Amino acid sequence: MSAGESAPFSVSGMDERLHAYADRQLDAAGRAEVEAWLAEHPEAAVEVARWRRQNDGIRALFDPVAAEPVPERLNPHRLQRGIVAQRWQNLRVAAAVVLVLGFGAGAGWIVRTATWTEAPASVRLITGALAAHNLYAHEKQHAVEMDGSSPALLAAWLSHGIGRQIVAPDLSAQGFMLVGGRVLPPIAETGTGPAAQIMYQNATASRVTLYITAAPVSPGKASENGSAKGVEAYYWADKNITCTVVGDLPDPVMAALTRSAVEQLSWRPAA
Amino acid sequence: MADFLDEIEAAVPALRRYARGLTGDSDRADDLVQDCLERAIRKRALWQPTGPLRAWLFRMLLNLYRNELRGRKRRGEHLPIDEMTVEPSVAASQHGHIALAELARALEQLPAEQREALLLVVVEGMSYAEAASTLEIPIGTLMSRLGRARAALRKLTGTNEEPRLRTVK
Repeated sequence: MSAGESAPFSVSGMDERLHAYADRQLDAAGRAEVEAWLAEHPEAAVEVARWRRQNDGIRALFDPVAAEPVPERLNPHRLQRGIVAQRWQNLRVAAAVVLVLGFGAGAGWIVRTATWTEAPASVRLITGALAAHNLYAHEKQHAVEMDGSSPALLAAWLSHGIGRQIVAPDLSAQGFMLVGGRVLPPIAETGTGPAAQIMYQNATASRVTLYITAAPVSPGKASENGSAKGVEAYYWADKNITCTVVGDLPDPVMAALTRSAVEQLSWRPAA
Repeated sequence: MADFLDEIEAAVPALRRYARGLTGDSDRADDLVQDCLERAIRKRALWQPTGPLRAWLFRMLLNLYRNELRGRKRRGEHLPIDEMTVEPSVAASQHGHIALAELARALEQLPAEQREALLLVVVEGMSYAEAASTLEIPIGTLMSRLGRARAALRKLTGTNEEPRLRTVK
């Protein structure tokens, strides 16, 4: 059946040049030379013409594939996000979440290792906030689902998504402008429902995200912070919502941003 | 990092085309390309920015294709020829459907190494040197595979009868 099992087949000398001619791999001088030779060897000319028709046929079969729209599952940017998300998943399954506690205490950083299965909601939310930040903060084109051109509209949409009335805090005093936001799926076993991610950017293109959810059933700590890969997360919760501020800026800036966000998010109109 | 992903993205249509030619099946082809892209993204650190990304990607695709073939052989899977028909595209009308379908079936019957070589040169437009380095074989071996492939195609598409393919200029 296979033509490849025949006697040794060698392509050499003129034959090699004929293939190169059929495959359009020769320069003008080479082409002219081969054409002159073919004019005197009609049988070879027929063979070469056949190869060219084969080539044309093969291209007609497969060239159109390259013009087809590429399925979304083959988008490298999307694949990259999947890989990053999977790495985070693996990290969770490995179940060693190292947390640095003691936000605001000033003294005594406590390092604690918690297995994922017994991690409190706050730890799960911080991990989720860090993962979401690492996933989207580096995106150029699709960093947000809805842009921040209308903060009120964005806030209304996000509020609807998480089932709590929130605002998109104004962080311009710290030099950060609103980029926009997106709604993210709930983190398992937190009982908080979906999360709203709001993204900000400063003049040097550093990005900070707020990760906001409804308050968990068992609130746990009111404030806590964690970090991963040089990115810091500042978690804060009240009876109504949780908010995790994520970024890789110096501590004083992160602290100021967190204070400002918390003040604006916890403010309620008098009943 | 964005540049790397953008460069990969630019190569996707050609990778799909090549994979389609290798497998003759669009789903299998896209599965291979997806594996290839994921591997490339995971192994990014191993890619030397000085080398051509295209050849690196094609090499990776070829390795995955060969592994897949070996796996199929081990499992004793034989695809009936009928199921392997390449789906000819709209542009095929220029050549006549029958002749192209025949050519597609003939390509399926080539030994994998001949099909790999022929498609890199003819469809991907690689120079002999580039194709040889992508396949990690000497140029002489590449030429011999091209020669065999063409002779086999001629046999498989009706020996001395002229295949009814017309070159449209």
